Amino acid sequence: METAELELFHRSIRRATETCGDESLDAALDEIGWRDALAADRSTAVSVLFEAQGLAVADSSALDWLLAAALGEEEGQASVVLSPLRRPEAPARVSAGRCEVRGLGTKAVALNDAAVVVAETDGGSVACTVKVSALELRKVRGLDPWLGLVEVTGHLDAGATRPVDWAGAVSLGQLALGHELVGLARAMLELARRHALERVQFGRPISSFQAIRHRLAESLVALEAADGLLAAAWEDPSPVTAAMAKGLAGRSARTVARHAQQVLAGIGFTTEHPLHRYVRRTIVLDQLLGASSVLTAQLGQNVLERATLPPTFPL
Amino acid sequence: MELGAFKAAVDAWLDEQGPALACDYEGVGTLDEQMIQLRKVMKMAYDAGFMRMGWPERVGGLGGSNLLRAYLGEALTARDLVEPGIYSMPEVLAPTMIDFAPEALATEMVPKLLSGEEIWCQGFSEPGTGSNLGSLACRAERTDAGWRINGQKVWTSLAQYAQRCVLLTRTGTPESAHRGITALFVDMESPGITVRPIETMHGAKEFCEVFYDDVVVPLDRVLGEVDGGWSIAMDLLPYERSTALWHRAAYLQRRLEQLVSAAPAGTLDPRAVGEATQLLWAFRARSRATQRRLAAGETLGSETSIDKVLVATAEQAIFDLVGEGLGPEVAVRDDPESERWRAEFLYSRAATIYGGSAEIQRNIIARRLLELGDDR
Repeated sequence: METAELELFHRSIRRATETCGDESLDAALDEIGWRDALAADRSTAVSVLFEAQGLAVADSSALDWLLAAALGEEEGQASVVLSPLRRPEAPARVSAGRCEVRGLGTKAVALNDAAVVVAETDGGSVACTVKVSALELRKVRGLDPWLGLVEVTGHLDAGATRPVDWAGAVSLGQLALGHELVGLARAMLELARRHALERVQFGRPISSFQAIRHRLAESLVALEAADGLLAAAWEDPSPVTAAMAKGLAGRSARTVARHAQQVLAGIGFTTEHPLHRYVRRTIVLDQLLGASSVLTAQLGQNVLERATLPPTFPL
Repeated sequence: MELGAFKAAVDAWLDEQGPALACDYEGVGTLDEQMIQLRKVMKMAYDAGFMRMGWPERVGGLGGSNLLRAYLGEALTARDLVEPGIYSMPEVLAPTMIDFAPEALATEMVPKLLSGEEIWCQGFSEPGTGSNLGSLACRAERTDAGWRINGQKVWTSLAQYAQRCVLLTRTGTPESAHRGITALFVDMESPGITVRPIETMHGAKEFCEVFYDDVVVPLDRVLGEVDGGWSIAMDLLPYERSTALWHRAAYLQRRLEQLVSAAPAGTLDPRAVGEATQLLWAFRARSRATQRRLAAGETLGSETSIDKVLVATAEQAIFDLVGEGLGPEVAVRDDPESERWRAEFLYSRAATIYGGSAEIQRNIIARRLLELGDDR
């Protein structure tokens, strides 16, 4: 995108995520033409929207659109069944002509008639598109009820399947969630920063105490590290790089959540302050499509087994 | 020259000259050996033209962007031909001269630095002036004969090898703080200079105390404005956190790779290895963006404190792993390779101390980037 076009896109997306409720954000994104932007300039479309969603703790069907497109759903009218939390494995197994589904879905699952289910087989990943009515959906309240996740289970006829690149789709999803986690982290840091400047104790704003300042500085370092790695990962969004970027983004956002909660202290522990919404979402999104703890340990395991490091970014 | 063509030319040259460029000592070597190696590599790279790339023509350079310098240092470090800390000193010293020295002085002196003909040092810290640079006391008085300097510096890297020093002096009243500081370009052979190397925990005498007793420096050796030395120091510190750190990342990557091959199975926690790798990759991503901003003509500022915190964090994470996976090498083995792991493990402990401590970097981030106001 050209600079002027990019600025407009950025502004429109930010306004939509800040002002629309989660119910009307999809329509607003269609009006902005987010899906056209996704086709034209994937990294910009994804990074701008998902960071904005994090900043506003807002939610849309964009993750499903992104994954469905990556799995070859042309129209983008289907949602995608996600892995259970922690590990980014395919949510279904195929055996003896039957497809066992055990995964999660976003709110979008209930909005669409069809869902893409990906299964791991000996011959690689395969997908089938099924009617949502054939799946069992159970609404999850959990830590972040506003996110509206659903548990998805099913025992289906395997039927017609097609080979798909699940790892490639997961990589895109991980980058998207990484940007969302960075957005959440930025928002939490800003909430804590503003509180530190306003809250007066011992006759001075608590922002003047080094213990507070260093927590906030540490938070900025953590989120900028994640942001930089995400930006570089788009140059070659391989599964290794994307998992690394999401792993760091999850860990960084949790670090920021911890510092922000400590700086906000009592008020940040109440539901009268918005922080809790961000903390909840951070903990859930950190585990979606691969938890930072799992992705980080897997990266280390691979490095140790191969006794070599992943490819790095050339100058 | 474009970066792609430069990379290919450097790589081909390094392949061809590999044996001639290689170190002729095992393990970490003595500091004397490291300095001989450094000067050999710099001279060869200078004569081949590569060391002149990325520097302006008026100081003997061949032009081109800073990315060329970043790549040359990365390539030399990745092949273990130079120690990045001492190799990268011109990344701070040459820009000082280019931006602040009288033009003729820069033209005369900078080629000596880049070619390895001379070693220069930087006299900033003092016994009473560590993190608080604005409190420095080393006095320079203007006399008819020149600037007369009296005082003491400490942590002056490589002073015992240096022919020149970029020295910060107090020219204002003792209370003038950052307003009364002047930078001088000092010949280290001047009468009255005494250098005493300090033996550090990691075994090298890289840092020195330098005593100035009635040292006279010609009046035309002022860098920048009289009493304007603070702005020189401030303008230069971001250089210390850009290209030099990119070189350091190449070294850290090499050592991490060597560690994961050398550590016996089961000695390293996979999650800790994953974290260290993520940190180093994140640093490389950020530092590369910094290199590109510099190449695009942007002025670097306080945001480079984030680069510095990241590289120090990555370095200590990696060498914490060395302490685990190669614990016996670090603790009880005396062969050259083990001695090298030990020295580098120990040196990594200082990564959060030198070049502006981790606390000072966080203070800068809090004040300048987060705009948290005064800390008192």
